[in-house]
Amino acid sequence: MTSSLIIDDLRSVISKSKGVKYVETRYHSRIANEVIFSNGELEMIRTVQNSGCGIRVLVDGCWGFSSTNVLSKMTLVDSLSEAIAAAKLLAETKKKKVTGLAQSNDIKGLFKTKVNGDLHSVDIEQKVKIAKEAEIQARKYSETIKSASCIYHEILDHKIIVNSDGVEVEVYDSKPEFNVVSVACRGSESVTTSEGIGVTGGWHDLFSKKDPFDYAILASEKATKLLDARHVTGEKTTIILDPGMVGLICHEAIGHMVEADFVISGSVAKGKVGQKIASELITLVDSGQSNIAANAAGTIAIDDEGIIAGRIVIIENGILKSFLHNRETALIFDTMPTGNARAFEYNDEPLIRMRNTFIEPRNDNLDDIIKETKYGYLIKGPRSGQADANGEFMFGSQEAYSIQNGEVKELMKGTSISGNAFDVLESVDMVGNDFEYDIGTGYCGKFQPAKVDGGGPHIRCTALLGGLQ
Amino acid sequence: MEDTCYLAVREAENMGAEYAEAFMTENKGSEALIENNDLKQLKYHKSVGLGIRVFIGSSLGFSSINSSEREHIKDAAIKAIKLARISPADKYNSIPKNSKIESLEGIYDKNAESFTLHDATKMASDMLDAAKSFDDRVSVDSGNFTNSVTTHVLLNSTGMRAEETVTSFYWSIMGMAIDDKEVSNFDFRFGGTHHVKDIDVFSTGREFAKTVVNSLGPRKIESFRGKLLLTPTAATDLIQDVIAYSINSSMVQKGASKFGGKVGKYVSSDLLTLEDDATDINSLGASSFDREGVPHRRNIIIENGILTRFIYNTYTANKDNVESSGNAGGSPKMPPIVSATNIIIKPGKLKLEDLISGIDRGIIVNRFSGNVNPANGDFSGVVKGGHYIKKGNNEYPVKEVMVAGNIFDALYDLVGISKERKVLADSILPYMLFDNISFTAG
Repeated sequence: MTSSLIIDDLRSVISKSKGVKYVETRYHSRIANEVIFSNGELEMIRTVQNSGCGIRVLVDGCWGFSSTNVLSKMTLVDSLSEAIAAAKLLAETKKKKVTGLAQSNDIKGLFKTKVNGDLHSVDIEQKVKIAKEAEIQARKYSETIKSASCIYHEILDHKIIVNSDGVEVEVYDSKPEFNVVSVACRGSESVTTSEGIGVTGGWHDLFSKKDPFDYAILASEKATKLLDARHVTGEKTTIILDPGMVGLICHEAIGHMVEADFVISGSVAKGKVGQKIASELITLVDSGQSNIAANAAGTIAIDDEGIIAGRIVIIENGILKSFLHNRETALIFDTMPTGNARAFEYNDEPLIRMRNTFIEPRNDNLDDIIKETKYGYLIKGPRSGQADANGEFMFGSQEAYSIQNGEVKELMKGTSISGNAFDVLESVDMVGNDFEYDIGTGYCGKFQPAKVDGGGPHIRCTALLGGLQ
Repeated sequence: MEDTCYLAVREAENMGAEYAEAFMTENKGSEALIENNDLKQLKYHKSVGLGIRVFIGSSLGFSSINSSEREHIKDAAIKAIKLARISPADKYNSIPKNSKIESLEGIYDKNAESFTLHDATKMASDMLDAAKSFDDRVSVDSGNFTNSVTTHVLLNSTGMRAEETVTSFYWSIMGMAIDDKEVSNFDFRFGGTHHVKDIDVFSTGREFAKTVVNSLGPRKIESFRGKLLLTPTAATDLIQDVIAYSINSSMVQKGASKFGGKVGKYVSSDLLTLEDDATDINSLGASSFDREGVPHRRNIIIENGILTRFIYNTYTANKDNVESSGNAGGSPKMPPIVSATNIIIKPGKLKLEDLISGIDRGIIVNRFSGNVNPANGDFSGVVKGGHYIKKGNNEYPVKEVMVAGNIFDALYDLVGISKERKVLADSILPYMLFDNISFTAG
């Protein structure tokens, strides 16, 4: 089915929605390809294509949603009727009705991710070959590497969004990722590490920073070194976070707390716009664009409500400036929508989600930050993390280097880091002049997955390290 | 659905597949979503998924679509064949034996067919009311109630044909307690059943509310080493997931499981007996056959602390020259992987209150927010909804406490299991008491 026929069908649905305050139709076709090699064997090879249309309506101050995998005038109208019936049913029970939506510009046009090396034009044979050889490289690195795997995954999206407020956009997006996992073992000790990258872009964008085999060698080198590393002692101490860890702190500690739906439910950021919540060295941004460095994985041109996904300054020089909004919460807070309404697949409704979340660089170079640290740790290699309503966050690291009298000393096993988001950001006293996005292989989970990224420069702060007593 | 699967197998065979398998799932139902102490949105959901697995020689190809249209099926078969032609040969790729499947009773409720969005809305509303009416400081951030009727059909080149319809209801609630300027830890509770009559949103809402209210007014403590009492919900991350990983034959064969080479040996204290049982109809992981059409069965995995076996699909079973344990899992979006079904831990002899009264110094953990490495068992994270226990008394809730250690070491230090158990989505877990755990204070 051609794009123009789909647009015609979606327009036709909109025209049939008389008496509905707002209707949004979103066609989404996704191709996901994946290759996994593990210990010299092909563990997974698959191609998955899912397509359909999600229809969301606002009737009598209530949301209704339905979707269909069959694109025909009849199934679309049936889905519209279901969504309207759902909204009307909700109106019988819902206490606080949606009063309206913030204004949207009637954006029209084609939004296509700029790619260097179209993923469609790279043969699957080449993707298989690279995953296979990178996995071999990871195991060849050392006899201590007993197990390795390499994952190549790509998502190719085609969306058409038409809504009753005049939005009519077509979007093509491309997000490949590559990750190598190495497991080093000696006796009963084992260490698992990973190195990888996820980008918005094409094949050459994916490997523009490093050769694929470099990721394999880095993962195995890290696992081998960590095999002999000791555990850290749990304590509250000075830590220097690498760009990936800064990306995690932006996402987990602050990002979730300032999602406006979470703010309304009672996050500790509620009522704090205009207040100082962090060191004046902190300017923290969530952006649909790939600012400062190219190809961030969370980049989107336009969100799923048809709002341009721009650069939103959350904290500027330590002052909380903005929450992240969809059109509904923007009206409640009397502000503009920020382009954060995102749906994962056609049968998901848009929710407030982050995109690329980062701290802007300042003036310190890493050597000086280390030199000026008497005692503490340099924390590297993000793992997963979580946020809490009261501002308490947790995220994991792969490596912790001890620092004594301005020098990096012993490599120790990674651990979890925790603290109160405001306290930790207030404690930031040095911000580096470097910058990198480094959590692009991950997904954020909030009922649905979302591809996000995050990063920043190296920063120094104080937080609680989990360890043994 | 059977016609669609038949067409998929035939198309793949016509294009050169020596073996073809079609697995199709059709799901329909509705969902009521909760947000910010109110209902947020009502939603109809229906989805279709078709996975086509082919072998040419011993090379694997796989393709998936969400369509029943002939041209889409043909296209998907072409893609699966293309992948099989470039995949390396693997002698362990083979088809399962064609076994007789006994239909599992108790996972289909005809009343679920007439369960409406209106009913789902009422259930979500009742759960919200149960939480809010417990204490006006309870704030519900989000939640849902979902009802589904799911039909699975599996057909392959050997003439195997399996079909089953499962009904399920699932509900969850997340949020915190807010007392003036104090915001408690975030917490969640969930539940599920196959039967309309067993839906109990009230208990879930109340338990969630009680947990968050009881975590208000937390105090800081000193760092110490002592006992950890895991609630069933907290045990899903720390125990269920790590054991499910470690008993997975795929992980064992990669050398990534700590349980490798330990069949017949102690992997925990003798208090632990654990099984993987897809025939237990109390949990949502129950069904008659696995993702390859192998009948489901009850597998005892750890008996009185001794590891008795691993879980297998056909591929990993071929590698170890054993039979599949009926643990091929995964959706139509992927070829069959090895996965646990329902993880069930046998109840202990002591009541929960007796477990607590025996704790000299320790912490009850309601939720664990942290990282666990299932390969080596190292874990570290933050205690959520934690309570400090001294000399058998529940003293007060705690804040800014991190917990760290190694799960496999901790299993040998498992010193108590409660009589009480919770049925969670795909597990039935008791309260579990561990000794010698490190707690770091902020």
